[in-house]
Amino acid sequence: MFRKILIANRGEIALRILRACRTMGIEAVVAYSEADRESLAVLLADEAICIGPADARRSYLSAPAVISAAVVTGCDAVHPGYGFLSEDETFAEVVRAHDLTFIGPPPEVLDRFASKEGTRRLLGSYGLPTIPGSVGMLRDDEHALEEAERIGYPVLIKPSAGGGGKGMRMVRTPRELESAIKVCRSEAKSAFGDDSLYLEKWLEDNRHVEVQVAVDRYGHGVHMGERDCSVQRRHQKILEEGPTPALSPAARAELCERAIHAVVAAGYENVGTLEFLVDGNGDAWFIEINCRIQVEHPVTEMLTGIDMVAMQIRIAAGEPLGFKQSDIVTRGHAIEFRINAEDPAHEFRPGAGIVERYHAPGGPGIRMDSHLYPGYEVPPYYDSLLGKLIAWGPDRPTAIERGRAALDELLVDGLTTNVEIHKALLANDTFLEGRMTTNLLDRVGSAAFLAAAARA
Amino acid sequence: MPEDRSDAPARHAGPTVEVTADHAADHAAGHAADHAGIERLIDGLLPALVAKLGTLNVGELEVRQDGWRVRLQRPAGAGPAYGRRVTDRAGQRVHPGHETLGAPAPPKAAPGTTVGAAAHAGGSNGTAGSLLAAVGPGRATDYGERTEVGDREVAEAQPRPHGPIATSPAVGVFQPGSKAVGGTRVRAGDRLGVVDMLGIPQDVLAPADGIVIGVIVEAGTAVEYGQELVHIEAAGAVEAH
Repeated sequence: MFRKILIANRGEIALRILRACRTMGIEAVVAYSEADRESLAVLLADEAICIGPADARRSYLSAPAVISAAVVTGCDAVHPGYGFLSEDETFAEVVRAHDLTFIGPPPEVLDRFASKEGTRRLLGSYGLPTIPGSVGMLRDDEHALEEAERIGYPVLIKPSAGGGGKGMRMVRTPRELESAIKVCRSEAKSAFGDDSLYLEKWLEDNRHVEVQVAVDRYGHGVHMGERDCSVQRRHQKILEEGPTPALSPAARAELCERAIHAVVAAGYENVGTLEFLVDGNGDAWFIEINCRIQVEHPVTEMLTGIDMVAMQIRIAAGEPLGFKQSDIVTRGHAIEFRINAEDPAHEFRPGAGIVERYHAPGGPGIRMDSHLYPGYEVPPYYDSLLGKLIAWGPDRPTAIERGRAALDELLVDGLTTNVEIHKALLANDTFLEGRMTTNLLDRVGSAAFLAAAARA
Repeated sequence: MPEDRSDAPARHAGPTVEVTADHAADHAAGHAADHAGIERLIDGLLPALVAKLGTLNVGELEVRQDGWRVRLQRPAGAGPAYGRRVTDRAGQRVHPGHETLGAPAPPKAAPGTTVGAAAHAGGSNGTAGSLLAAVGPGRATDYGERTEVGDREVAEAQPRPHGPIATSPAVGVFQPGSKAVGGTRVRAGDRLGVVDMLGIPQDVLAPADGIVIGVIVEAGTAVEYGQELVHIEAAGAVEAH
């Protein structure tokens, strides 16, 4: 097992990793940018080291800065969290070249799954139905138009690197494609430093369902059920839950079993998530794999009782999983609400500023993963996630009831948050009946959605 | 938040400088003479003394001259841990978060007429960034905190001296260069040393023209980004008096 881990991330996930290290008796060093000097992870850490200025390209995205910090503090492993360098195979390679362990899939595994388009073909060859898409990256506009024609409109333009909805646009005509592709390239370039794009067939009224897997170095793999992330705003997840209300128990089990079979066969290692789109017929189409711990991992932790970050660390250290598929029992229903510093009344404009008062809700089945504290100044340089409120209940209606009470109890003064959109969701019949699709908010627009909830 | 402040004495382990004028009680009469004295000290004596302290294996150095007494003192517990910023925190923070989540502890200025850069304890907050920030007889250390009645005009008349500090451009291992020696005159942009980041040297540059007062961090020490490495007294600061 590792002796000392460098946490190369910020916000709530840095805190989450720190907590996992504490429970495992592993020392942790929090690497931070100048803008995060007073972040909770830094304040709570045994040790913290400033790795660069606020600009993420010179701190959290700088492989030399992160690795140098790990070396000088005597760490033997680096946990990249999510985003930033978490799925960068070159970074993982350089980490290893410095006799450090990258906590995630080994570099060659990341490399094998680096291309989203290549991964679709790879996992398709192991029996997963995959979404139709472009062959290879889009070389230029002409190539994009040809491929879109072949796949058939509407299509989704997607960046090969990263996630989080950045650089993603759905287009219905060649004309829209031509104008959107430039925006996507520049967004992808600034978010991930890589402007490669590809196309995917767009399914109307789709559901986003993802399967959580964990595979150790010895090829023992388990799935830990699925999560439904259909509630999105402009391709960004804002609420996740499990199990999915979209599929029957039998269909869920079948999807999860196919997913774990395919990734084990394809040589995956460590925790990962296979994302699927489920169409109106209940058919699931594989779209991509996320080779990292995800924002929404607490949903699965609440359902299974497994500490996924600790498991991720153990797998990276070469330990066997130590349990079988039949040992995993999922109980009840969990919903995660992403609490963002965004103003729903103004196009979800991200905000920053000082948290004047803060109260995290509690009670049975309630968990709050957040880096907020009273007096904390949310810096404007990074994503707007303030925390995640997770509500568990023995069934979906109870989880919803508890979530509603917890959202009412949550207090974040000094910043505008997106809590209203969550409250509106919990008053929306489509959501309450579990029939939501990824266009639930965007079809009517979030403003109209909020207004409708206010009338109800 | 107070993290820097609570850690400041160990993390910004520059020597403490104490300058006392024996006639400090008589402000008006001593004022002009004090200024001349201060300028002499800054120009000639102090840099040499700081450099001397750096090479000697002693904790304290005291020199008397013309009714002035200058005492340099290494921070408590400096020794081998001198300037170790990134690695010395673990031991200090046995109760994680307790001190750091509380109200910020304001840096305390040493009261009384004996002054010095004891205010250095709060140096990281910029309250007394320079070793020489508070030199002068009978002046409170921290201009922001002074409460003595009657000193206000004096405080306002005297511009607060700023000592530029060369900071680390990267996280890595610090190696001072030939110019990072107390008493050396440097120009803005001069290379004072390098921080080795995975074998790639990153230049530590003088932020202003001036005289090197002292090197805060020993050669071969692990440093973080932005860590204070070399103190400089700006060339213009002396004339400003």
